[in-house]
Amino acid sequence: MTQSLPRIISGIEGLDQILGGGFVEGASYIVQGQPGAGKTILANQVAFSNVREGRKVLYITLLAETHDRLFQVLGTLDFFDRSQLGVTISYVSVFQTLRDDGLSAVVELVRKEIARQGATLLVFDGLLNARDRADSPLDVKTFVAEIQSQAAFVGCSVLFLTSTRFADDSPEHTMVDGVIELHEEVPGVRSVRRLQVKKSRGSAALGGVHQFEITSSGLTAYPRLEAALRSPSVQDGPSSAAVASGVGGLDDLLGGGLPASSVTLVFGPSGAGKTAIGLSFLAKASKDEPALHFGFYETPARLRAKARALGVDIDSPIEAGDLEFIWEPMTENLLDKLGHQLLQAVRRRKVKRLFLDGLGGFQRAAVHQPRMTEYFSALTNELRALEVTTIATWELRDLFGPTLTAPGSELSSLIDNLVMLRHIETRSRYKKALSVLKVRDSAFDPAIYEVSFGNTGIRIDVPLPPVVNATTGMATPLAT
Amino acid sequence: MALIVIAEDEFLIAEVLTIMLEDAGHEVEAAPHGQAALSLVKEKRPDLVITDFMMPLMTGLELAQALRADEELSAIPIILVSGAQASIGRAHPDMFDDVLDKPYEEKRLLKAVEGALAGKCST
Repeated sequence: MTQSLPRIISGIEGLDQILGGGFVEGASYIVQGQPGAGKTILANQVAFSNVREGRKVLYITLLAETHDRLFQVLGTLDFFDRSQLGVTISYVSVFQTLRDDGLSAVVELVRKEIARQGATLLVFDGLLNARDRADSPLDVKTFVAEIQSQAAFVGCSVLFLTSTRFADDSPEHTMVDGVIELHEEVPGVRSVRRLQVKKSRGSAALGGVHQFEITSSGLTAYPRLEAALRSPSVQDGPSSAAVASGVGGLDDLLGGGLPASSVTLVFGPSGAGKTAIGLSFLAKASKDEPALHFGFYETPARLRAKARALGVDIDSPIEAGDLEFIWEPMTENLLDKLGHQLLQAVRRRKVKRLFLDGLGGFQRAAVHQPRMTEYFSALTNELRALEVTTIATWELRDLFGPTLTAPGSELSSLIDNLVMLRHIETRSRYKKALSVLKVRDSAFDPAIYEVSFGNTGIRIDVPLPPVVNATTGMATPLAT
Repeated sequence: MALIVIAEDEFLIAEVLTIMLEDAGHEVEAAPHGQAALSLVKEKRPDLVITDFMMPLMTGLELAQALRADEELSAIPIILVSGAQASIGRAHPDMFDDVLDKPYEEKRLLKAVEGALAGKCST
């Protein structure tokens, strides 16, 4: 039987999952990255999380900013607790000892200080300075080995911070149990923070790079969704039940309604009725079927106004607490943050009706586009397993046109049900048309229907007069 | 001119403090932690000790307690200069002749030094 290692939690949301359960107790890690990458905030956040757990922390610096300057910066962050300074967490500099007496003296001083403080976490900020004082790679290896063995002997975990990116086969890397690299990249004009666990001895860390951000709460990491949810978090239990779409006439086309725990993609050009369908779907929210609107375009206030204009009552479920709106303007979003935020909101309220308006908002947030298929796969699998019935939208670029491109790369294959909306020009009039292209495990009406808007909501119950080329948007009456 | 021992682990702060006091005409000996400072005080018998709080091996409070417990050294005035733990220092008026907050303000520091050397607290 395999044995799990005792852990200390990082206190950084998302990081423990990336590390495979947190830092291993008594183990040593290198946290490396360029200046400004977030190493100091990470280490201090871990330190104060340990302090809150009743542990003692020793924070050792070499040649760095003064501790008072550090405290000023930390004072802007929620986790920092000034009252614990010198009580459960001590910041001491050993630079003069390093300069005057060398690496061995530092090791001896650190050993005494860990024992004196009863520390269970040691942060050593400035490994590069220690390297500069060493005469050979063997000196560095010996120094790291001595520090970590002295610490491990008393069950103290160690974080070595360094501003240099050590090579994977550097003496420092070979000695420690784990290596975390923080990096800020600039794809185009924006910047994105990413972290990678490059070494994780004894732990199945989530591989690859993961996005993180720094706010007044400190660091928050967002495990790459397709890695964190390689398989859904709960067992998927397919259901044959149908869920009312809330759109007059649509359930008949779908063969009785939307299959429960399925994902429906409603795609079409701007103004074709995608959001109207979504609002009608959300208006059916109840205590048994809590609903969520997760959107990138209109604000909640505008959506409420739109629903009122359509004659769709979403005010009642909102006031009853059965419908929640999350609006993430399509500005500078982090793809994995969006996914985790969505799934947290779904889990928190046990959401059963979800309207995603639209998938393009996720795609725009992606720095690395080729991962979108895997990302959407993880997201939709999780939503199905959580028994959420989802309607997502996808906006087609062209209002009209002779060609019709399937939405997203391989996206259609991840979707259970496909509903297409088009603007159609016929007899000098524009009409909106809807057709069902695919319903999971169910027969459906393949006819094309007109979409009509009234003061009691959207309706889909009048078949389009016979035309050809309706899907291209340029219909011509069927010759009789 | 007085002989002053500084107990300060942060090298850059110790340097600045030394220059500040030497410019004011004092002789300065610096120690990188409380234990080294205690040895230095025993050896040099200074007129004044200026100490930080958080230091390796011995805190400023522990250093003050050790000095006050030593009959031969207990009369040496001690000034605590600390960023975050000044309140701990103020809670021990029997240990410190004065408590100053970091960052250092030269005039305020020199006034405190003169006050401590004259046998009175400047605050």
